[in-house]
Amino acid sequence: MMPLKLNIGSSKKIGEPNYGSKGASVNLELELDSSLLQSPGQLQGQIQSLFQQARDAVEAELFGRESTPGMTQNGHGQNGSSTNGNGQYRSSNGRRATNSQVKAIYAISKGQQIDLPSLLRQQYHVDRPEELSLKEASRLIDELKAEPVSNGGRQ
Amino acid sequence: MITASHHTKERSPPVMRDYLSYSQLNTYRSCPLRYYFRYIEQIPERTVSSALVFGTAIHAALEYWFEEQLAGNSRPDFDLLLAAYQQEWQQRDLGGIEFGKKENLDSLTQLAERVLKTFIESEFATVEGQILGVEEELRDSIIDGCPDLLARLDLIVETDEAVVITDFKTSRSRWNQQQAEQAGEQLLLYSELVKELVPGKPLQLEFLVITKTKQPNLERYSVPVSQSRIDRVRTMVERVWDGINSGLFYPAPSPMSCGSCPFQEPCRKWTG
Repeated sequence: MMPLKLNIGSSKKIGEPNYGSKGASVNLELELDSSLLQSPGQLQGQIQSLFQQARDAVEAELFGRESTPGMTQNGHGQNGSSTNGNGQYRSSNGRRATNSQVKAIYAISKGQQIDLPSLLRQQYHVDRPEELSLKEASRLIDELKAEPVSNGGRQ
Repeated sequence: MITASHHTKERSPPVMRDYLSYSQLNTYRSCPLRYYFRYIEQIPERTVSSALVFGTAIHAALEYWFEEQLAGNSRPDFDLLLAAYQQEWQQRDLGGIEFGKKENLDSLTQLAERVLKTFIESEFATVEGQILGVEEELRDSIIDGCPDLLARLDLIVETDEAVVITDFKTSRSRWNQQQAEQAGEQLLLYSELVKELVPGKPLQLEFLVITKTKQPNLERYSVPVSQSRIDRVRTMVERVWDGINSGLFYPAPSPMSCGSCPFQEPCRKWTG
């Protein structure tokens, strides 16, 4: 009797910060006794079991060995921070600053020749504007704008 | 005997898209085969419509305008705004742009001048509130089992009462409220990304529609937010993703869109 050949595959791709992504795929090939065709229930059971194993292997590859401690599969952390897949993290004090705010903070501080790292460390206990919350970024922009600002303009 | 091959890779099969955008969803809904050619087969598109380039260039000018406000700089003058518009055109291969009848680069530049002058003089040029984002790209998982939603929000402003999301549209003619509500599903979908931006503050969704007429007109249209409408949009996304994920691609001929479709040739050859 000819053997029955079964091919099972599972693949998954997940987003990573800055448009990055990683994917994993698993393919299983199995030879079965073709008499199983006479027992559809048993055959279906074999197929489902193989699919489950393939899916588990993909998940383990994507989230197991390479996962960051404290991060779960959906990217949500357990220590008050999470990622939405675009490198935009939430902190316990609210949503992180938007890219537009970060860009504006760099632009204003550069225009006014402000030592931004020192200011951030002193006032907000962070090193970079990207680590500010949305509210903190709004407040900082307001404060910076209140300083004498040189005329802007496209160079 | 069980044999297994197991590997990680940077690029998965094309159908495994890791994000969805409103533009992708809309393309699939208008013609699943067009979606297939554009996003799965990734067939290069030889031409792009002048309307698309014009809209993108006006967006670039408005982006510059509001970014300058966010950075606390003085208002750009008209020439700087026009330069931002022209910069977008300079990045394009003019030979690949399909102009409409009685339309060329000069006539569109004149139109842009009228549009930008009207904008500068309008109430919309002044933001009431705090700008939180200009052309802000947001990405998050909003529906279980679907890829992340990726959106580019034209303008996000926080006022005392609400977080206002504004999408700029350039249009041949003036809209009415019904059109705005029909188009509103885009903003309703985006609202799912923004709802946690400022917790506790209601969202206000609106379109700023700029008409490309002899005397351009700017109008604001509000999109009513309701949970039932949001749920409907979410269901639409799920169904579209089901179709994409299961490889359901077929032509949806339409006299409105086939004429300008860049995939007419592969479409004719398609046999299923």
